[in-house]
Amino acid sequence: MEPQPHILVVDDDREIRDLLTRFLERQGMRVTPARDAREARRLWPLGRYHLVVLDLMLPGEPGLDFARWLRGPGSTDSTVPIIMLTAMAEETDRIVGLELGADDYMQKPFNPRELLARIRAVLRRAGEGGATPGGTKEPAPKAIRFAGWTLEPGRRRLLNPDGAEVPLTGGEYELLLVLVERPNRVLTRDMLMDLLRGRQAGPFDRAIDVAVSRLRRKLEDDGRNPSLIKTVRGGGYVLAASIERLPGSE
Amino acid sequence: MPASLRATLRRWLPGTLGGRTALLLLAGLMLVQGLGLTIHALDRVDLQREVQAREIMARAFGAWRAVVLAPPERRALLLLDAEPQPGLNFELSTVPAVRPGMPPPSAETMRLFHLDLMLASFARRRGPDLLLPPRIGRGRPAEKPGERAAEDRPYGPLRDGAGGRPGSEEPPGARPPLADPGPPPHLRPAEMRMAGLGHPGGFLASLRLADGPWLNLRVELPPPRPWHSPTFLIAFVLMTVAAAGLILWAVSRLTRPVRLLAAAAERLGRDVNAPPLPERGPSEVTIAARAFNLMAERIRRFVSDRTQMLAAIGHDLRTPITRLRLRAEFMDDDEQRRKMLADLDEMEAMVTATLAFGRDDAATEPAGPLDLAALCRTVLDEAADARPEAEPQDFAYEGPDRLTVRARPVALKRAVANLVNNALAYAGDVRIRLAPARPDGRGRGTVVRLAIEDSGPGVPEEELEGVFQPFRRLEGSRNRETGGTGLGLPIARNILRAHGGDVVLRNRAEGGLRAEVTLPA
Repeated sequence: MEPQPHILVVDDDREIRDLLTRFLERQGMRVTPARDAREARRLWPLGRYHLVVLDLMLPGEPGLDFARWLRGPGSTDSTVPIIMLTAMAEETDRIVGLELGADDYMQKPFNPRELLARIRAVLRRAGEGGATPGGTKEPAPKAIRFAGWTLEPGRRRLLNPDGAEVPLTGGEYELLLVLVERPNRVLTRDMLMDLLRGRQAGPFDRAIDVAVSRLRRKLEDDGRNPSLIKTVRGGGYVLAASIERLPGSE
Repeated sequence: MPASLRATLRRWLPGTLGGRTALLLLAGLMLVQGLGLTIHALDRVDLQREVQAREIMARAFGAWRAVVLAPPERRALLLLDAEPQPGLNFELSTVPAVRPGMPPPSAETMRLFHLDLMLASFARRRGPDLLLPPRIGRGRPAEKPGERAAEDRPYGPLRDGAGGRPGSEEPPGARPPLADPGPPPHLRPAEMRMAGLGHPGGFLASLRLADGPWLNLRVELPPPRPWHSPTFLIAFVLMTVAAAGLILWAVSRLTRPVRLLAAAAERLGRDVNAPPLPERGPSEVTIAARAFNLMAERIRRFVSDRTQMLAAIGHDLRTPITRLRLRAEFMDDDEQRRKMLADLDEMEAMVTATLAFGRDDAATEPAGPLDLAALCRTVLDEAADARPEAEPQDFAYEGPDRLTVRARPVALKRAVANLVNNALAYAGDVRIRLAPARPDGRGRGTVVRLAIEDSGPGVPEEELEGVFQPFRRLEGSRNRETGGTGLGLPIARNILRAHGGDVVLRNRAEGGLRAEVTLPA
């Protein structure tokens, strides 16, 4: 991780922009605020940003269009992580944004500390993935199939083999996503905690095992003799399944 | 109308408009039919009586002829042997049955049995004693002035010449000469008397044989029975059945728009965006449908105005809450900051709940297949995660591992979560029981039953419905300290009703509260 991450904050409310800038700067980050998409577009080539916090409700050009531009060929870094700020009513925007390759989202009014935690988690994952600035980022798949089950990252939902939606808690969803993104790879508890921390404050610090056992129950995987999420001796888990990725809409 | 009669009517009267209309129409039609068939039957009865009368007269004449021609000692036997004829009785006697003082046969009887013809033909022969009503007497052909009936002596025996009034003239041309010359002379009675029986269709006649005894005839037509014929009943039943079929068909067709209107109103109650009623059919129906659609449109506009207003308020509140949250991060006093953030969390929860209640998310979210069992477990797990201090056994689930229903996932999860959080807020424990789909007993498909139970203090019986009203809180146990917005239960019920289900609260016998949820499978 770089010593001082550089964040581009795009929000039309001056107070929020200023407060957020001050808040993130106090956490040791470098922040460049932008009023709207036009200013952000102007600022984009002037710096090298590690992450963009983007309000989807912007005057003039919508935030989604800016995100699309960021991911497009006109951008100098189409892999830059994006965290979207959405209102509750903008569910479809959120889905489009996630399918477009946004890394996370937060609903307004958000909790600043949670935003900070997510910024750190996204930065950590970006570092882990070895994404290099200037490269291209593969858009998030529309759906991931494994052992008859379907996970839709854009809609954050899981469908059982009959096509019925199986509700998951936020923690279960994050854990499953981490597992299916790394199939047939042993993930230790420490790795899982590292990948998940910040996403879900709380239960994962002490209860990766609880989340795994809940997931197994929902995936109808026998807990005593699991075939899907296997326990690895020495303290780790592996998703034993072949994965089929269905391409996203863009 | 006395109350008991009204109650009886209510019990027997069909409940539906269609049923009542059909009953009324059918009753009216049966009455008209009965009348029509009766008129027809009465006509036929007239004809039948004519035929019967003719037959009786032929028989009577036959009997007379037999008696006249037979030797005196065999007459009685002969009459006994005669074939019986309904309506005709005869006997041989030494005295006439017709006595002076009896009324003459009525005009109706005269006409029916053609007695005037008979009298006239008998009267041809000079000399028979005739007991004649005056008007009949006048009708005789005036062969001789002396044989005229005496009008001033109506019931006296008429003998040749006796009592005749030579001076009275027959009006010329009053009666044409008879074509029928009447029976041959040896068959004519020596004397004939007639009297009526006081009702049409019957008379007495006494005819004297040349050697003295009388043949008394008693003629009485059987009383008419127009409804007695089997065809009457068959015709009545057939016509009634045919008419009933037609009426039921027509009435059900005519009342269909009323049923459609009721169904549309029911649909509108559940879903403001239900499709409009088709505006066609008879003009009254079209007008009603148009009025209904107009009303639905106004309600829709009202709801959407309210929704937009709430969304605007919610949206506008989001920005200041976000700012305050950020500002709180710059406060030095940790205690104050913690409290301020807690207040902001509560404010946000209230805004979110109010928005959810006002926006009616359930109506816009698409419905799809959903594993209800997994949903229940997820709600319990999230509730447990939010309460790290609670014991795991406080969150129990009983039911199948998988149960697919068609629902709107986010909305239904919110409904179940509200009920679960309500239980946890007042009891500290919760148990979800999920029962698989089975018929609801009212013939409206299958329902899934979901019970959310707690072991808390319960709710006073009279408040079990009241707590579903927005912002309603119970005195005492349910106060602001326990948190909540007063919208959890109303939102849950709104969502479940929008799914075609419902939720009611019951106090459990063993203590605690049970929320009983039904959902169409």
